[in-house]
Amino acid sequence: MIWFFDGSKDAFLTTFLLAYRDEHPIVSAGSHQLSLGQECVFVRADENKARRCEARLKELDKNCMRDLDLLLRSGESDAPRIAFEYFRLIAERGRPVRGMLAEDAVAKATECIRRVTFEVHRFKGFVRFLESASGALYAPISPDHDIADLLVPHFRGRIPDIPFVIHDVRRGKAAVWDGAHAFLAPLEEAEVVLSADETAWQALWKQYYRSVNIPSRERIRQMKGYMPVRYWKFMPEDPASAADRTARGASVQKSPDAAPRPPGSPRSPHGSPRP
Amino acid sequence: MCYTQSMITEEKLHILTESAKYDVSCSSSGSGRKNAGGIGNGMPDGCCHSFTPDGRCVSLLKILMSNDCVFDCKYCMSRRSCDVPRATATPEEICELTVDFYKRNYIEGLFLSSAVHVSPDHTMEQLVRTVKHLRTKYNFHGYVHLKGIPRADRALVSEAARYADRMSYNVELPSESSLKLLAPQKSKQSLLLPMKQLKSEREIFRAEKRKGYFLPAGQTTQMIVGASPERDGQILRLAQGLYRVTGLKRVYYSSYVPVVEDSVLPAVQSPALREHRLYQADWLLRFYGFDVEELVPAAENLPLEFDPKCAWALRNMHLFPVEVNRAPLEMLLRVPGIGARSAQKILSARRYTALTFEHLQKMRVVLKRARHFITAGGKFYGTKNELSVRELLAAGEAQENARQLSMFENGTALSVRTGEL
Repeated sequence: MIWFFDGSKDAFLTTFLLAYRDEHPIVSAGSHQLSLGQECVFVRADENKARRCEARLKELDKNCMRDLDLLLRSGESDAPRIAFEYFRLIAERGRPVRGMLAEDAVAKATECIRRVTFEVHRFKGFVRFLESASGALYAPISPDHDIADLLVPHFRGRIPDIPFVIHDVRRGKAAVWDGAHAFLAPLEEAEVVLSADETAWQALWKQYYRSVNIPSRERIRQMKGYMPVRYWKFMPEDPASAADRTARGASVQKSPDAAPRPPGSPRSPHGSPRP
Repeated sequence: MCYTQSMITEEKLHILTESAKYDVSCSSSGSGRKNAGGIGNGMPDGCCHSFTPDGRCVSLLKILMSNDCVFDCKYCMSRRSCDVPRATATPEEICELTVDFYKRNYIEGLFLSSAVHVSPDHTMEQLVRTVKHLRTKYNFHGYVHLKGIPRADRALVSEAARYADRMSYNVELPSESSLKLLAPQKSKQSLLLPMKQLKSEREIFRAEKRKGYFLPAGQTTQMIVGASPERDGQILRLAQGLYRVTGLKRVYYSSYVPVVEDSVLPAVQSPALREHRLYQADWLLRFYGFDVEELVPAAENLPLEFDPKCAWALRNMHLFPVEVNRAPLEMLLRVPGIGARSAQKILSARRYTALTFEHLQKMRVVLKRARHFITAGGKFYGTKNELSVRELLAAGEAQENARQLSMFENGTALSVRTGEL
């Protein structure tokens, strides 16, 4: 049997309750190629069933709802199935299974969760805010997983007085901090009037990014490993053109870092700065 | 058009960054400074904000206060006798730049260093003033790494530590004689004294449980590798000494890049692989329970064809293979190819079931090297002949190095323990 649900927590828990006794269930939140003669069920969230299921699972593993939340945020198509197998194992063993890494279900779920939390960690660094005329900050992102609201506590902790919006343009939703409350809101397109200094600061950041690079040590593959190309789109430092310039510069002309500088004439020790 | 009062010019930023970038320290970890109204806080795990085409991360705004130097260190492009454009920034310019970059999430904080401008005391005073400004006037609680200026007044050093998260004095060269030759105005004492001063003051501060902060992220240092004749064995002995005596958090190794021409300096860039091996050995000292005596004799370099753990294992084949289901953590950590993360996974999984090779594969423990040194459930899948193990490992390394040198694998869960960030 194929079990479809809408990807929400309650729908998952309802599905779990219904599909638990199915010997070969396929659980999916998106599209699934149906083969001839296969039965399928569309499960709608049932508040009652979901609460019952949640209470029972929490008895078995009091931290398992955090795992579920992260698994359902995954953008990978087989995440719901991985979550189902993981929770089935919890139910079968009647205890937390987190440490049983030799179990297929646990190994897969752990990896899946790790990819989600890793992206959260990455975006703590890769988010780029634009300053609007009102002083509020706006950052468009396009992450693999549904993590926009997970980033809010981090930024709220460091800029509590500045309202900000983290806009997941792929999913059409925004995580908002208005200075007092954090909430999620649907948002397709946003129009931002930039502050007067915004472009000047961006230009300085671009200048900094170019200056701090050491062209004679080109390692673009490593750069892309740490900062995948799909994240570059909203970065004002423009990593693509910097990588391009470095790659061309390294082969054609010797960069100033590789070429020894001729020593100049000695200067007076208290010379004034020569900008 | 520019509305900010003291926005630094692009040209000045370029000059002051250009001269700061060879300092390799990049970490922003170790400080849990709280936001106390205003902007910023510390992130104990550290955070990388961008990566440049040289594969290095941008975590902090790494900048000099001034590159107008009275010292004449041979390897440095800011040295007095070098003809480069000079610039000096004001504390306001640095503060505004830091806060505005930070607000937009470009950076995790400030790494402020300086050439010795006018005099050591004058320079240190400027640095302290800037950081104090940043903390009190701009209410900035993000990460600040401050470079110590050798031969500056003791009181200035203590004051700096009240505002910075981390401070560092660069040892620069691994021996007193090289220092004398290449950095005549610096001496071992001028570098070690303030390090020891800060260490003891920090201990007193902590013992008295005083309010505020005193270098919450401790101290680090940096050594240039390849500009002078010291061997890896000597360098690592110095590093181990520094970890034990001055309680350093980290020693950075910087492959020598020729930016200035001088008869006492080599004209070629030191190979990146040597730097990589030093870092691998450094990790073994700090996180894997190795002692430098086990890794390399004082007068030798680390082998380039194997990583230092592999080399150690090959010298100690009588200790292997170890059984993954029974070996203690300390021994698992000594198996080539098994790192802190894999060792933890094995410890966790084997509490529930007897592990086989299939299990290890499923758990994504990398077995390419490890299989020659372990058994799983009594079964051995490696090569018995030591000579062929050697060949296999060397061949694998060569392939990896040809592909790309990636220092650390991605991941965060163990980032602090493995010191990745």
